[in-house]
Formats: sequence, structure tokens, C-alpha cells
Amino acid sequence: MIEVQGLTKKIADVQALDDLSFRADDGKITGLLGPNGAGKTTCLRTLFNLLCADKGWAKVDGIDVSQHPLAAKQTLGLFPDPFGLYERLTPREYIQYFAELNGLKKNAAQQACDEVLARLQMQDIADRRCKGFSQGQRMKTALAQAIVHKPKNIVLDEPTRGLDVMSTRTLRDLLLSLKADGHCILFSSHVMQEVSALCDEVVVMASGRAIAQGSPQALCERTGQDSLEEAFIALIGSDEGIAA
Amino acid sequence: MAAWMKIYKKEMKDAIRDRRSVMAALSYSIGTPLIMCLLFVAMIDKFSSPSALYISVENARQAPELMRHLASRDIFPDSDVPEGEVVKAVSLHIDENYLYAMQHGELAKLTITADFSNDNLRSSIRRLQRELRSFSREVAALRLLTRGVSPEVIRVLDVQAKDTAKPEAKGGFIVGVAIFMMIYAVFISGMNLAIDTSAGERERNSLALMLSLPIRIRDLVLGKLFAVSSFALFGLCMILLVSKIAYSFVPWQDLGANVVIDTRFALYMLLFSFPLGLLAASMQLFVSFMAKTFKEAQSYLTIVLIVPMGMAMVTGYDIGPDVLRWLPVSGQQKALMEVVKGNALPWDSLLIATAITLLLTGVLVAALMKLLSSEKTVFSL
Repeated sequence: MIEVQGLTKKIADVQALDDLSFRADDGKITGLLGPNGAGKTTCLRTLFNLLCADKGWAKVDGIDVSQHPLAAKQTLGLFPDPFGLYERLTPREYIQYFAELNGLKKNAAQQACDEVLARLQMQDIADRRCKGFSQGQRMKTALAQAIVHKPKNIVLDEPTRGLDVMSTRTLRDLLLSLKADGHCILFSSHVMQEVSALCDEVVVMASGRAIAQGSPQALCERTGQDSLEEAFIALIGSDEGIAA
Repeated sequence: MAAWMKIYKKEMKDAIRDRRSVMAALSYSIGTPLIMCLLFVAMIDKFSSPSALYISVENARQAPELMRHLASRDIFPDSDVPEGEVVKAVSLHIDENYLYAMQHGELAKLTITADFSNDNLRSSIRRLQRELRSFSREVAALRLLTRGVSPEVIRVLDVQAKDTAKPEAKGGFIVGVAIFMMIYAVFISGMNLAIDTSAGERERNSLALMLSLPIRIRDLVLGKLFAVSSFALFGLCMILLVSKIAYSFVPWQDLGANVVIDTRFALYMLLFSFPLGLLAASMQLFVSFMAKTFKEAQSYLTIVLIVPMGMAMVTGYDIGPDVLRWLPVSGQQKALMEVVKGNALPWDSLLIATAITLLLTGVLVAALMKLLSSEKTVFSL
């Protein structure tokens, strides 16, 4: 479970987060939906203690990330944007490296790596170096890195950016399967279709604030709109920076 | 396995597969001794075996004895120049009254005309002046004898020099240059890897991902530091190996110097340069982590690397202050020069230089850890 309360962060002259509060529960997919510059990535970076909040706190499974960053990070998996692959390593080497750095012993890391490669159907590319991979293959490698150590909480930053239809479907299927396994999944996106198709809960963000939180249906009912897109526009008062 | 060790292993695997990093380590280590060899051989040709010198001479007929004396010292007038030889732009003008002055025991006038600022002519001018003085002394002695005076009258001092230096100790500057070129391998060999693993990591967007893992920044820094140091020391081993082979072809006795790379020297070199490898790696990582891109880091490091080079040059020429023997690079270089010369090691100054090297490394590692804890640095805010 990920919980954020009163998170405030100013970067230079920009108020990136402004008293942001929300909760993402286990066994649910929670989407941070907002236009470009709403503070989604800043919020995710704060969850990993990469940015220090000026005020407020973020807790992962009850652990305050600023107080106990290492313990909090052990329960987290990150799918970053961009992916940050090491092009001279093979997916097997890359995934196993991250498994070991996430605390798995060598044998356990090898086994976990084999499992995740099979789960994402990556055996055919497992021992090829990442250089020259397609965007879909890169996405799978980055995703495998994020879940190899079976973290309770998985955070994805703009996961479908630049993916084709098949890769997006693979990602969706995996997220639904992880949700079924009881993981807490939090992802940021500005793609309406993706959020309405996947999310149990949506946190609508604008100017560093959580404008509203609820299921897509609840948000529609609250705004009296038929679709999440219309509800979103009604909530933030603009459709700027949003992709359908 | 400790986290730093996992990072170290990954960095080494990644670097060995990076052709650019491997080439950077190898090209300097293999190329430099070969270039130095050619340089030393060229120096021998230039300085140690004086060849025939051809100069312009005016009124040579006035001074047949002088011409014979110069010819006996391999200095000839331009009229005798064989095909393929070059006449130096040095002119010796013999006065119209030279013969008369010599016959009457008077002062005979000679004029040397040349561009005295020209480096290529300097040794030829000196050689001509030396031989003219020698001829002048011989004639003066003969004039005294004809007047019944012993030539010993005009010799006041009998100065004799006894050189106690061992053959290995000669040619200090050459030895200094040869040793510095080896030490500098530590700074060059790991540089590409240092940039790739820091500024390159940021450019690949993998730095934030690494920092989001449950590992301490200390482990991240140490893993990278030891990987870069390993590459630096690999470069040093390679240059020692290549130098041992290449320097065996240099006729050191003609240069008045000797650089023998035996097991003892190699062990001392590795031992003294190990702290330098750590210092070079920490310095390069620190500078590169401040850069946003690979190219930016390259530009910064090119400037930073002037510092060790400058210290070594000053040490080689022996023109720096005494404090240099306590400082990194110059301290180790001086100690290794003593090893080559077969002298006793200056342990006190070497230990101080090593301590300062390790202290600086510690300071840079601490600064690196602070740098990577800063969100402004990580995200270039």
C-alpha cells in the first residue's frame, strides 16, 4: 500500500507538488492522471526518496520513505521512463543484476530471472544484448527488472509511452495479472484510454494537487459526465496536455 | 556478496564489452612506449653522435692551419660539402688581415654569423666556438714557447672532475619522462570508463533507476571507483609490459641514461601507483558526475588532466619547489626515479605523498557521495 499525505515540493520557482494526498491500495491499480507538468513524475520520485519533500510524507507499506529509505525501497519496484537499459548487457544479465541489487541471493536471483523471462515470454531474446532492441523488447526488459524481486508495490512512470498496440496489450495483461496476485500498482499517465481501461482508482492531478480521487465510474457520476475524459476535463477545467 | 562487489562486477563486464573503453586503455599503454622509443632514438641521433658539420667560410685561404684544425674535428667549409649533406646556416668570416696578424703575433679577427636564437643551429654554433677556442689555446701555447715561457704559466687551476654517479643515474630528465609516461597510464586508461559509468549513466537515464534501488550510495560509488581503478591499473600493467619489450631496443648508453624495467621496478611501480589509481578514478568520477553528457565530461577531464601532467613535467625538469616530493604524482615519480637510478628510496617523502594521495581520494569519495545524494545533481535541477 502506498500512502501520500500533504506532500509539498518546490523546484526552483515551480510549485511541483502542492499538498498532495492520496492512497493506493493492495490488489488495485491506481492511476495518477494529469496533464504534462501536473507533478506526476515528481510525486513518483518522492516515493523513492530521490526527491526530498519540503512538507508532508509518503509511506510504503507503512514505512516512511524519508525516514527509512532502504526499507521502503525494498518493497518497491520501479518501471522508469525512459527505461535506462544497459545496452551491452543481455536481458538475463540485466534482470539478474537488478534482482541481486534488490537483495536476492545469486541462486534465488537466477531462479527469479528465469521465472520472469518465462512470464513475459522473453526467452528468445534473453541472451541477446539489449543494443538494437525494439521499443517493445525494451519495455519488457524494463518491466522484468521492476518485478523480478516480486515487490509488493510496483510503480510505473508513463508505461505505455511509445509502445505499439501489441506491447501495450502485453503490459496491460501483466498489470492485471499482478493486480490479481494482490500487488499494489501505481502508475502515472496522461493517456485517458489507458487509465480508464486499467484503473480501479484514479487520482486526478493538476498543478501538483490531487483534484479528485475515486473509481472511473465514481468520477463520472460526481461530474455528471458519460466518460472519464469528459469527467477529467470537467475536473481540471482544461483538456491541455491530455491524450485520448 | 556485498552490493559494491555486485556493482563492480557489472561495471567490469559492461566496460570489457565497451570497445571504446578497452581501446582507450590499450591504445595509450601500447602506443606510448613505442612513440617514446622512437623519440629516444631520434634524440640519440641528434645529440650523442656528432656528424660532420659544413659551414660557410669566407677567406679560407687566409687560414690553412685553422682549416686543418677544424677539419680534424669534422668541421668543413661549404666548398667541401659532398652530395646529400646540408650546409648549416653558420658563416665563419676570416678577416683580410688574419694571415698577417698570425704571422706577427697579433690579434687575428674571426666573425661567426648565424641566427643564435635558432634551436637547430645552437649546438653547431657551440661546437664551432669550442673548436676555435681550442685552436686559439694551442697557438697561444706555441707563441709562449717561442718566447721561452712555459705555457703552464697561463694555467692557474688544474680542475679535474670525478663523476661518482652510477651509469643508471645519468640522464635524469629522460628517466623522469619515461617514468611519468608510465604513471600517466593510470590517468588515461580508466578515463573513458569513468565517463561512461557516470555522465554516460546519466545520459542513458539509468542513474535515477540505480538510485531508486535499496542500496547505499556508498556501495554505488565504491563499485564504480574500484572498476575505474581496475581499468587504470590494467593500463599500467600493459604499459609496463610493452615498455619492458620496447625499451630493450633503445641504446641507452648513447643517451647517458638507463631505464631498466625489471621485476623490482615493476613491483615498486605497481605498489606506488595503486593509490594513484584510486585518486585518478575518484577525481575522474567526481568531475564526470558533474557533467550532464559524455562529451561535456570529456571536455572537463581534458582540462583536469593537465594538473598531473604539469606536476610531472615540473618534477622531470627538477624546477619545482621541494614540496613536490610530498605531493601525489610528483612524490611517486621522484621515488620511482630513485629506484631506476639505483639509489635509496626516500621513504619519508613517499609515505607522506601516499598518505596525501589516499586522503585526497577519501575527500573525493565523500564529495561524490554527497553529490549523488543531491537531487539537484541527479536530476540536473
